[in-house]
Amino acid sequence: MKLLVAAMEFRLALARPRLLALNVMVPVALVLAISLGGAPVFHAAAVYTVLFTLFGTFGSSIPLVRDAESGLFGRIIRAGVPRSHFLLERAVGGSAIDALQLLPALTIATLGSISLNEWIRAVLVLWSSVWIANLLGNLVAAVARSLAETALFSAVAALLLLHFSGVFRTPSPQSSWAVVETLSPFQALHETLFAVLVGTSTEVPLGLVLWVLVLPTVTVLLARPITRSLRATRDG
Amino acid sequence: MNSTAADETVAMDSDSISLMEVCGLHYRYASGSPVLIDINLEVSAGEIVALLGPNGAGKSTLLRLLLNELTPESGTIVGPLLSMKSGRVLMGYAGEESAHFNSLTGIQNAHFFARAAGVEKDEVSEVVSDLMDLVGLSDEADKVVSSYSFGAKRKLLLLEALVHQPKLLLLDEPTVGLDPISRDALAHILSKCSQEGSAIVMASHDLNFLEQLADRILIIDKGRVVSSGSQAELLSSLGTATRFQVSVDAAAIELPQYFGDNVELVDDSGPLVFETTRGQAALPDIWAALISARVKILGVEVREPGLAELFRRVTGQELPE
Repeated sequence: MKLLVAAMEFRLALARPRLLALNVMVPVALVLAISLGGAPVFHAAAVYTVLFTLFGTFGSSIPLVRDAESGLFGRIIRAGVPRSHFLLERAVGGSAIDALQLLPALTIATLGSISLNEWIRAVLVLWSSVWIANLLGNLVAAVARSLAETALFSAVAALLLLHFSGVFRTPSPQSSWAVVETLSPFQALHETLFAVLVGTSTEVPLGLVLWVLVLPTVTVLLARPITRSLRATRDG
Repeated sequence: MNSTAADETVAMDSDSISLMEVCGLHYRYASGSPVLIDINLEVSAGEIVALLGPNGAGKSTLLRLLLNELTPESGTIVGPLLSMKSGRVLMGYAGEESAHFNSLTGIQNAHFFARAAGVEKDEVSEVVSDLMDLVGLSDEADKVVSSYSFGAKRKLLLLEALVHQPKLLLLDEPTVGLDPISRDALAHILSKCSQEGSAIVMASHDLNFLEQLADRILIIDKGRVVSSGSQAELLSSLGTATRFQVSVDAAAIELPQYFGDNVELVDDSGPLVFETTRGQAALPDIWAALISARVKILGVEVREPGLAELFRRVTGQELPE
């Protein structure tokens, strides 16, 4: 694997310094407002989780549909980049860039209440979560037929998974929802941020590990229909 | 251009080797109406095939079928290029869209597409640099593509289609947006590719460009191949006669029988159509004969033998300018 597409993602990010700065500053501004505003810990963790997840999903799906509409996506596939490589490499590059851009916001969110080990763990959970969000963005882009649809579907898909991950509910460990939450992709991010803010520890993020492994497999299996659907975006 | 992964495959250095054969190809859009009907085409190494037809005739659709981007309703596309694992990379395509990574430079774009198509890392700089010179983009190589003119983007697109020295090059309107110098440079590059054994299939309305390059021409109208053959064969079917189409007042009286030496009235059902082997020198005689018969002349069109006239006769339509 030449990782051409992943390397191109980095080149593109560096070639647009204004966008790069905005992608760092906007999350920082939001996190600062919440952490300085004295929001309750549970709500703060929920808002950070939503912010980081939507950042990954939107950041993946919207450029992909835009590239499909312009014909660039079709040109890249036609040039010889295998379909599944393209989708996976895009998520590799995109999630790494997202994680780096969100790092200052994460650091501010957890400032003063975290050890180095916990911070590294939080970074890894963040990176894994935006990896899932990027792959989710690929799938959403395949269903959408316009940028407006992409934004709508990205929001709906991410918010639904955030809901299943227990981000918007008071935890109830004895209910059947607890199983669903454990197996959902963004519970680990929410639990990690919450634990950091209140100073407790979290368990092994089973749902996160599951999704980190399963979603790339699904992407590879669905690479052909995803590609066909993205091409149809241009053909109308 | 340097060798690429393409050279690792079956040797195709003989001009007679068939690269792709299309048999009985039918295609229709999901909406139902047929786009291509019973298309048969064989493309051999070193050959330049031109697809000529009015807008909506199905030329671009045929190119996308050859690229395996669309699935035909029936018929087959076979050939050694398609049976190879890296078949797609052995083809190059420049279509109507010239989408690029707009925030990157021309050379960064070219490098990406070259590497994607299999050009080795240690060769890519040299190959891209050579082609930048050939297509006349060297001065703009380090500028971001968003600052490029339409013509420069088209040149970059063509460069990216050629960069891996494809065995089969598919081009859709390759001269659109090119100035005369770039157009000549492209003709030179394509001619060289053909001499080196690459086959080229191109759809174009640029008749001068096609006359300059095409070994074989397929005229497509309403999804069907209505005429095909070598340029010489097709033009010989026209004869060497020049045609004059003279619009006259419908209330005109009886037409004369004689319009000059070697001038024949071939159609008087609408505008009068004359054929002559004397070229435009016959026009004064025709003019004089009509005036002496008190025929009121409303207008004259001269049609010299050539692809434009062939196209008009076969399809009944004029090519867009």
